[in-house]
Amino acid sequence: MPVWLREHSWRQTLTAVYLSLPLRGGRATPANIFCSEQYLKVSIPPFLFEAILYAPIDDTNSTAKIGNGNIFFTLYKKEPAMWDSLTLENADKEKLQYLRENAVLKAHEKAKKETEAKKITKQEHKKYALEATMKLEEAERKRIEDLKEKERQKVAKELELWKKQQKDGDKYKSIQKKGELHQEIEPLKEKKSEKMNKTQIPNEGTSKTRLKSTKGCHGSCIFSPNLKEEHLPAPRAAATIKVNFTPRVFPTALRESRVAEEEEWLHKQAEARRIINSDLSELKDLKEEEKNPDWLKDKGNKMFAMGDYLGAVNAYNLAVRLNNKLPLLYLNRAACHLKLRNLHKAIEDSSKALELLTPPVPDNEKARVKAHVRRGTAFCQLELYTEGLQDYEAALKIDPRNKNIEKDAEKVRHLIQGTMQSS
Amino acid sequence: MSAAVGTERPQVVSHVQQALSYTVFDCKWVPRSARLLCLGSAARGTGLIQLYELHGARLELLREIEKPKPIKCGTFGATSLQQRYLATGDFDGNLNIWNLEAPEIPVYSVKGHKEIINSIDGVGGLGIGEGAPEIVTGSRDGTVKVWDPRQKDTPVANMEPVQGESKRDCWTVAFGNAYNQEERVVCAGYDNGDIKLFDLKTMSLRWETNIKNGVCSVEFDRKDINMNKLVATSLEGKFHVFDMRTQHPTKGFASVSEKAQKSTIWQVRHLPQNRDIFMTSGGSGSLHLWKYEYPAQRSKKDSEGSEMGVAGSVNLLQNVTLSTQPICSLDWSPDKKGLCVCGAFDQTVRVLIVTKLSKV
Repeated sequence: MPVWLREHSWRQTLTAVYLSLPLRGGRATPANIFCSEQYLKVSIPPFLFEAILYAPIDDTNSTAKIGNGNIFFTLYKKEPAMWDSLTLENADKEKLQYLRENAVLKAHEKAKKETEAKKITKQEHKKYALEATMKLEEAERKRIEDLKEKERQKVAKELELWKKQQKDGDKYKSIQKKGELHQEIEPLKEKKSEKMNKTQIPNEGTSKTRLKSTKGCHGSCIFSPNLKEEHLPAPRAAATIKVNFTPRVFPTALRESRVAEEEEWLHKQAEARRIINSDLSELKDLKEEEKNPDWLKDKGNKMFAMGDYLGAVNAYNLAVRLNNKLPLLYLNRAACHLKLRNLHKAIEDSSKALELLTPPVPDNEKARVKAHVRRGTAFCQLELYTEGLQDYEAALKIDPRNKNIEKDAEKVRHLIQGTMQSS
Repeated sequence: MSAAVGTERPQVVSHVQQALSYTVFDCKWVPRSARLLCLGSAARGTGLIQLYELHGARLELLREIEKPKPIKCGTFGATSLQQRYLATGDFDGNLNIWNLEAPEIPVYSVKGHKEIINSIDGVGGLGIGEGAPEIVTGSRDGTVKVWDPRQKDTPVANMEPVQGESKRDCWTVAFGNAYNQEERVVCAGYDNGDIKLFDLKTMSLRWETNIKNGVCSVEFDRKDINMNKLVATSLEGKFHVFDMRTQHPTKGFASVSEKAQKSTIWQVRHLPQNRDIFMTSGGSGSLHLWKYEYPAQRSKKDSEGSEMGVAGSVNLLQNVTLSTQPICSLDWSPDKKGLCVCGAFDQTVRVLIVTKLSKV
């Protein structure tokens, strides 16, 4: 139970109330004082003083002075009127409770408002600081821009000056030249060939060429070289120098960063040509040329061109048995299978070809495009349109300019959208 | 743009930018004037030559000439100052010399190569150097040919691959060492990284090397002096500076190389007024300005007592990014120090001014 402090003394004027509250020991801090519009409380455990004021006061302007074991309140009244007493006498418990709660709420609200106000001012300060820095930076930038602009203008002026000098120099020369050449023109005109005559005509102002300059000296200048020829040495005796180049397999330019990849590809190609799978007994029956995978490849190509797809497949099969590292064999066999509608085999062969065509270098671009296109076609014919589209897009990535691939890719996309809509 | 303004480094100031409606492959200043030429290919597959004049802060189109084949490269190097004829190489392998006042019929024309002429250079004209005016062209057909405008149809020198050997594209050519009437040297760069130096006086191969990346551009620091330095730029952002004063019998010329950026360095051009400063243009749309510093001793003796060159060092003076597309051509004005024009594949031609070059 708190100990109530009852020994207070007060006096009032029309606008203010002065309340003096002695403290029995205990120090008071502002935290111990709680004041709202109509409620005043001082709580210094175990002492407690509270008062429901007679009339509302302006709690923001009112002050409390703590010192000498005494708290001195200066409360400014909201309405200037003389109070009968400091507190409301006939306050019952409920009203007290209500007033207390109200007071607390009001205090809370006030505190909230204060924090918000503080936040707002803080933000404004920040904004101001930011604007100030921006202005400074802007000023700096402008200064640099101005310097640059000044430099530019200075340079432009110099240029103009120089140009004028050139023009004046030219004019002077042209006047001189005109004088000299008038004497030379007569004998030279007779020497002139057809060609020179032709070139003279445009100078006499046809509308074909948009000749704007007034520099007359150029027109008459064609006459001057004949005067100078005697001083130059005769043309050189013609000769040829034979040149040897540093060998390079690829037709593209040499780039240091690509050398490693290119080496790898070349190495693979070389190895592929050397490997021969030789444990086949039928090899003894074959003629010499039929043991050469390249010859068999050519045979296969010819049969494909004539339409004998089965024969072509046989040729490629034999070639693969001899050397299973040549990507072109699989590529061409895939084309045959496509024609024969052996779609799964076509897919297998195109995939094998792609495997062998790594690393991707510009040299095997064409082969890779073909492999993707063939595999894509096979997928589409199997109605696996999404896989087919993937292959077409891969082909487009390698060779974006091929219109046929683009058209086919569009068709496949439409097909996919069509099936999706209907399903 | 540049790092700190107000320091003594040269600044690259963009003076004029001109958008074009065609792909520009080469741009050149017309000597002794404030006019420049743009050579290129229009969308419909014809060649275009446009003549612009610098007027204040803009370029004024003076004349436009259309030709049946797209034009890849051009040079004023082999004409006199009064004539100022333009020599061009086009996509069909034709070498033509045009009088810009009367461009309907070329002054000289020859179907020099079977494939596109990638690069052209001229020497002996413009009052620079001595000797006969000559033009060299390098083409995708692997040959490098030297022409004299007074001799029709046949080149005066032909550097072609040995019979039966596969050819490599020649990407760039340059003249050098033309300090008297007899001496002359042609340097050619190929796409397999070969650089070959041909001596026209003895009609032989004087030196060759391989820089491991396709060679995009070669240039001597001066055409009309005893050959001093050669800069060769390549793919993968590298360039090499060769000291050409001392040739070792086996090791050739000494060199220093720099990797400026990741992208191809398309062009190198030396400042006409200072042969130790050069600019490289890159595939990322950037320009780098470099200065070469000579070593304390330019040559030393090796273990066998033969003279060997010593390469110096290269410092980056400034770099600036102007475009997102490669800058394929670059030309310094021979009359105004620091004025240059560059053409990029974003169909713009830019006139730039590089300041403070005198203080470098």
